[in-house]
This record gives sequence, structure tokens and C-alpha cells, in this order.
Amino acid sequence: MSQEHLACASVPIQHWSGTYDPKKAFYTGTIFPDLDKPFFASEKAEETGNPSLKTASPDRRESFMQQIQEISFFADDLRLFLDTHPECHEALQALKRVLKQRKSLLINYAEEYYPLTVDCMAAIFEDKPDSDCYCWQEGPLPWEGACV
Amino acid sequence: MWVYEKRLQYPVKITKTCPKTAQLIISQYGGPDGELSASMRYLSQRYTMPVRQVGGLLTDIGTEELAHMEIICAMVYQLTKNLSAEQAKEAGFDAYYIDHTAGIWPQAASAMPFTAKEFQSKGDAITDLTEDLAAEQKARTVYDNLLRMITDPEIRDPLKFLRAREIVHFQRFGEALEKTKEKLDQRNLYYFNPEFDKGMMKRV
Repeated sequence: MSQEHLACASVPIQHWSGTYDPKKAFYTGTIFPDLDKPFFASEKAEETGNPSLKTASPDRRESFMQQIQEISFFADDLRLFLDTHPECHEALQALKRVLKQRKSLLINYAEEYYPLTVDCMAAIFEDKPDSDCYCWQEGPLPWEGACV
Repeated sequence: MWVYEKRLQYPVKITKTCPKTAQLIISQYGGPDGELSASMRYLSQRYTMPVRQVGGLLTDIGTEELAHMEIICAMVYQLTKNLSAEQAKEAGFDAYYIDHTAGIWPQAASAMPFTAKEFQSKGDAITDLTEDLAAEQKARTVYDNLLRMITDPEIRDPLKFLRAREIVHFQRFGEALEKTKEKLDQRNLYYFNPEFDKGMMKRV
């Protein structure tokens, strides 16, 4: 590790010490227990009454979307870790696992509901070459509040 | 090249109209420490970064900030979508209403428009990464302040997520700075500009 230098900022390098599960990570905002540092007002000031978010949604499509969001977020946070720790074997193995899961979730979602990416649209057309549906415009817009 | 994925990184589902809260949260869209500013800062700085991995990190974080901008805009949109002119007036949202109706426009909570003056791309890796560390802290403080003021769990939930991301990004920029330092003159980190005098960097 690099030596200490006067007159320059320095931050300790994080070491791999495991992760939360995808659901817990998602609602924490990081996959790393070591970086989970909430603000006291986040705990205290909250009104009682549970936002529907953390409980499983009764809507099948919404709970499917929730799974995609959790797995995708896991991959996002892992990628940033690997950007500065490309040699970390555990992180790379975890990334391989979640990217595989994400890929199959995205394709299943496209087949059952609508495509989230252009590549998902390609998967639909491969599956149904005679389709007349320009499916890109299907589904709610992400900012409409139906994107849980 | 960017590819759009038709979902938010974190869900936003706000059921109550509240222009007062929208006016506070909009700061993280177009304000001095907002997500738009963050994204433009990192995506501008990355081109001349002397360490490849750091250029890659700036691209990934700059991209995530775009997704955060979309979350903030979705919040402002949902907080104002059924707005009446009377509600706007009562909540002190009337000046915004006059200029933008209920359209989404990048400004600070203080109504100052978005400006590139709020961030730097200085062409020196140590300077830029030090700015990025400060930027993440400033954004975290804004989220702390929002969380102290806002009590509705529907609104707090995405804000808590976004706040947590600032801490993770700070850690990554710190590690990027360490990686950059490793390639400099160890007796004097400021002996040359690591971006402008690239030939003097250590090939580690």
C-alpha cells in the first residue's frame, strides 16, 4: 500500500469482507456492511407508517421489477468496488453470479411484460420473428411511480 | 455511448402533492451540489485522467449520477403533478410556477439556475479527485439537511438511498486518489502535473 504523504488527502483502501444480501443491500444503499453509515435523523425523524416499498408488492409485475432493481443494484455497487479492486477474486466471482441472474431476469421480464433495454427487445424479436409489435413504448414510464 | 434502461435505479412512489417539499428537493437536481452537477463534473474530468482505472471509475460514477438525477426529477414530478395554482401560492411555489408551470427545470432550492460554475475540471488528477471527495461530502450534507426537514417516509426512503451512495462514492474516489499517488514521485507528489506531464508518471 502507498506510504503516507504530508500535504495530500488520503483515504484507507477498503478490504473485502462480504456483503449484505441483495434485498438488504438495496434498502441500505450499499452492498457493504462496512460502508453502511446512516444519519441519526434518518432513524429518528421518520413518521410511523410503512412505505409500501419494503413489503413485497402484491402486484406480480411490480415484485418482478423489484427483483431486477435489487440484483442490478448489487451489480452496480460491485462494479464500482472492482473499478478500484480489479484483482479481488471474491468480488469478481460475485459479479459473475449477479450478472448472470440479471441477464435472465431481464429476458424473462421482457417476455412476460415489456423490454427494459434495446437488447431485451432483440431477445423478444429473436423469439417471435413475425411479431408486429414495436414493444419499446409498452409499460409505464419510470418516473410515473409505477416502477417499483 | 449510453444505453437507456427503462426503470429507476431506486423506486419513487409518492402519493401526496407537496410543492413545498419539491422546492427543497429540486436542489439535488440543479443545485450547487446536485446530481446533474456531479454527473457533469465526473464525465468532464475523465478524459484526461492519467490512470486508466480512474477514468473508468469516473465514467461509472458519472453514469450512476445520471440515474440519481432521474430519481430526483421523478420525486419533484410526483410531488407536483396534481398541483393547483392555489396550492402553488400557499406553498411559496408560485414563483417557480410562473416560470415553469409544473415543468421540471434544473435549479437550486434558492431558485438559482443550474450552472457549470459549480464544478471544476482542472486538468490535474490530484486537484480533480480532491474536488470529487469534497463534492460527495457536500451532497451528503444536503441529503442530511433534507432528511432533518422531511418526515414523510415515502419521500425519505429514496433520499436515504441517495445519501448512502455519496458515502460509497467518497470511498471509491479516495481509493482512486491512492492509485494515482502510487504513480507519482514519492518524495514530492507535486513535482509535476500528472495529467499534463504524463510522460513523467511511473509505469506501475
